[in-house]
Amino acid sequence: MWQLWRGFLNPRFQIFFGAVVVTASELFLKRGATATAGSAESWGWTGLASLRSPFVWVGIALVIVSLLSWLYVLKHLPLSIAFPLSNVVHVFVPIASWFFLGEVISSRRWCGIALVLIGLIVVAKPFAKIEERL
Amino acid sequence: MSGLSAFLILFSLVTFVVGQLFLKRGMEASACGWRTRRFIFSFGTGIVSMTISFFLTVGLLRHLDLSYLYPFQGLTVIIITLLAGFSLRETLTMQLTIGSLLITAGVVLVSLS
Repeated sequence: MWQLWRGFLNPRFQIFFGAVVVTASELFLKRGATATAGSAESWGWTGLASLRSPFVWVGIALVIVSLLSWLYVLKHLPLSIAFPLSNVVHVFVPIASWFFLGEVISSRRWCGIALVLIGLIVVAKPFAKIEERL
Repeated sequence: MSGLSAFLILFSLVTFVVGQLFLKRGMEASACGWRTRRFIFSFGTGIVSMTISFFLTVGLLRHLDLSYLYPFQGLTVIIITLLAGFSLRETLTMQLTIGSLLITAGVVLVSLS
């Protein structure tokens, strides 16, 4: 159990965890925003009308969790490594939108996702080697 | 794009980048305690800066398409990586810079499609 907790607190895992939480929050926010899109309040443009949806509140709670996770990452990793790695969210969100919401991903978007993935590998590889030496 | 839009996009990017840099400084300072002046100043500036950036982005989205605005935000990857090297004195390797450029290009491509 202790090993599991230590693994969870690993800053590299927290980047991955934060990205998954952000992806989940985006899906909930999208679902909540779509559900309340028909409302015709004059202040509807602010997005406040979406607060009627429980999905939006779940999304907001997940955003707070992801912020706490990000602050933990910032405490333990250099920003120049953590920030590029956190962009794995740009891979997760389109794939989750395709899988859960049935959105269409164009070939250009797949190319972009592939570029992000290559960049992530290039950034993460030397970092992994440094950690191995430690 | 009007001059005002260009200025607001630039300002939202600057506040986002400044926010991340100050949050990083704040979390480093938290090692010496949560009540130190350095932590309170850095963390507070980071949160205020990120909040300004958030509301500027929401305001810009009222007038501009998300697909138009989002590629600019992709640029923050390379800007933050370089500034972390210069202002926080983190080690910048060629591999890290190339990786950040690839991620930036990927994010821009994803946003444009």
